[in-house]
Amino acid sequence: MFSTELVIQTAISGVMIGVLYALMALGITFIYSIMRMINWAMGEFYMIGSYLQYVLVAFLLGPDLWWLAIIVSTAGVFVFGLVVQWGLLKPIFKKPPEARDDYATVVTLALLLLLRSLATGLAGPNQFTPGSTLPIVMVGPLPVAGARLAAFVFALVALGLFWALLRYTWYGLALRATSQSRVGVQTAGIDVLAVDRIAFGIGVGLAGLAGALLAPVFLVFPTNGLITTVKGFEIVVIGGLGSIPGALIAGVLLGVVESFGAAFIDSAYQNIYGFVFVLLILVFRPHGLFGERGREA
Amino acid sequence: MRKLGVLLAGALLAALPIQASVQAQEIGIGLDIPLSAPGDATGGQLIRRGAEIGIDMANASGGALGKKFKLYVTDSQSTPAMGVANYRRLVGEDHVVAVTGFFHSSVALGINEVAKEMGVPTLAVQASASDITAKHYDIAFRTHAVDPVRVAAWMEFIKKKGFKKISIIAETTDYGIGLTDETIAQNKSGNFGLDIQKIAVDNKATDFTAQLLQIKAFKPDLVLNIAVGQPVDLIMDQATTIGLLPNTPMLISYDAPTRPQYWQLHPKNGTGIYFIAYYSPKSPLSDLGQEFSKAYKEKYKEDPVYGALNGFGAIMILQQAIKAANSTEPKALIKALETGTFKSWPDAQVTFPRADGVYFHNWVPPILIVQYTKANQDWKEADVIVSYSKK
Repeated sequence: MFSTELVIQTAISGVMIGVLYALMALGITFIYSIMRMINWAMGEFYMIGSYLQYVLVAFLLGPDLWWLAIIVSTAGVFVFGLVVQWGLLKPIFKKPPEARDDYATVVTLALLLLLRSLATGLAGPNQFTPGSTLPIVMVGPLPVAGARLAAFVFALVALGLFWALLRYTWYGLALRATSQSRVGVQTAGIDVLAVDRIAFGIGVGLAGLAGALLAPVFLVFPTNGLITTVKGFEIVVIGGLGSIPGALIAGVLLGVVESFGAAFIDSAYQNIYGFVFVLLILVFRPHGLFGERGREA
Repeated sequence: MRKLGVLLAGALLAALPIQASVQAQEIGIGLDIPLSAPGDATGGQLIRRGAEIGIDMANASGGALGKKFKLYVTDSQSTPAMGVANYRRLVGEDHVVAVTGFFHSSVALGINEVAKEMGVPTLAVQASASDITAKHYDIAFRTHAVDPVRVAAWMEFIKKKGFKKISIIAETTDYGIGLTDETIAQNKSGNFGLDIQKIAVDNKATDFTAQLLQIKAFKPDLVLNIAVGQPVDLIMDQATTIGLLPNTPMLISYDAPTRPQYWQLHPKNGTGIYFIAYYSPKSPLSDLGQEFSKAYKEKYKEDPVYGALNGFGAIMILQQAIKAANSTEPKALIKALETGTFKSWPDAQVTFPRADGVYFHNWVPPILIVQYTKANQDWKEADVIVSYSKK
């Protein structure tokens, strides 16, 4: 059972799924690093991305233009994120910071329930798939669905673009500065609420991108963002809240741990291995692999 | 302020008899089904469709005891805790006289533990774990295939095909574990001599590649896909990707492929799949079944599948039992169900005798193993490979 081929196949499979998990985690941790709030409705933005991908591919653009559908779906979720931030979150952030986290939690949980119920009401509980015309390809000894490989490559490109945006643009500089000190940014004359809006749009856009990329791989249904969101939060804990490199590395680690656990220990506990890993990290590095130790007055 | 309080109390008191009188005008039936993930929401929706038409037909035929029926629908999400909470609410707040539905065995098993204390009978229409009826609880009834019969059907199929190495990929629920254990038990007791690989999976997982790679390495003659809901489709797709399908035959443990979205989900890898079914259009329907089928086609523009038929059948059975008992009192209803003979959708009488073992309070439909032999094939045209009835 422990053949070299199986070990390599399992490792490749783990890395590929880990990068896709990381995309979700990145959205969560990015929003947190800027706005200091957890968006509990991330899974629903993932779900919207997957439904948009399905509708675009199945009814408007066709399967050959899947890549265009991914861009449009991501943009659609980004715009929806801007609207949500403007309509639901900005009023909270205009007020003094007391209980801001609590309000944001209530608002995003309410949004989660609303969006999930809307999806069930509009599309029914059935699952759908946009399908894929991409052929199966060999990655080393592992046959991989074309859609999954495309999702992996797209995710890497998106992560690269995201890094470049943060590193080389004025907006990136503003975003990084806001993550360090919201007050400091305001004193420099930057509209911090506008930065919030862009950050929230980008964060949920990453979730929407993950949803669109994984729509042909993991199907489209009202609660399809749930598992990916749970993985996203696990990764955030492992990598460290607010750490972008941490999200990527922790995503890959989680994917590999789960794959090897399922393949070589007991497949029944695939989701448990991730939680055990999280617990170990919390015991030995409570702030995560790349998280910064908090200061308390 | 005190005056306002008195007025409010008076209004509440005045409203109470009205509420009680409204409830007395109807007979409530609970329907607990999965309507969201990780439950098989499509399965739940099909049962609901059948039950709703059943309520309409029951009311059109005069209801029972001079009252109309009302359906109270709850979503179990396939979670026993949610199912139990739903049952308590249905009985305690909605005052239903029976609770039917139940797609996931774990939910039915959990509910029955509470139902035996609260006393309101349950009628499971698509949950198959043996213990649902094998525990011999007075309140537990079922109109569905039980594990031993389902496994006997696929053991006959395996023997017929001459398969020797079998991989079982099963979810870690009462359904998956029950069917896996029963397969291993029948392999031993029936001296089939099969080499069985057992792979358990979490039904909330989405990536089964690691498990399927293990199966591929085992080189089985047949893969038994004992998952429910989305995992069934994900296992099929991921097995295709790694080259397990179509080279190795796969048998799906229930009738998911009869659903309308099957070919939308599996346009390329749906052909060749074997699956369990409990009804074929070639099977004769009762008068009630034909009437239902007509109403269903008019409403949904497609043929009813087993889940809808059985959801409908449950309402018909309960209507007849309430009439026979001339009461909605739980003990009288249970007695009527145990001793009566009922008409449902199949052209066969339905009974719930206090029989031995798993067949206690259990009516079992015949089991079919069918195969899609070409793409986009209508499930009604699929080849019937094995037709098995309880011996």
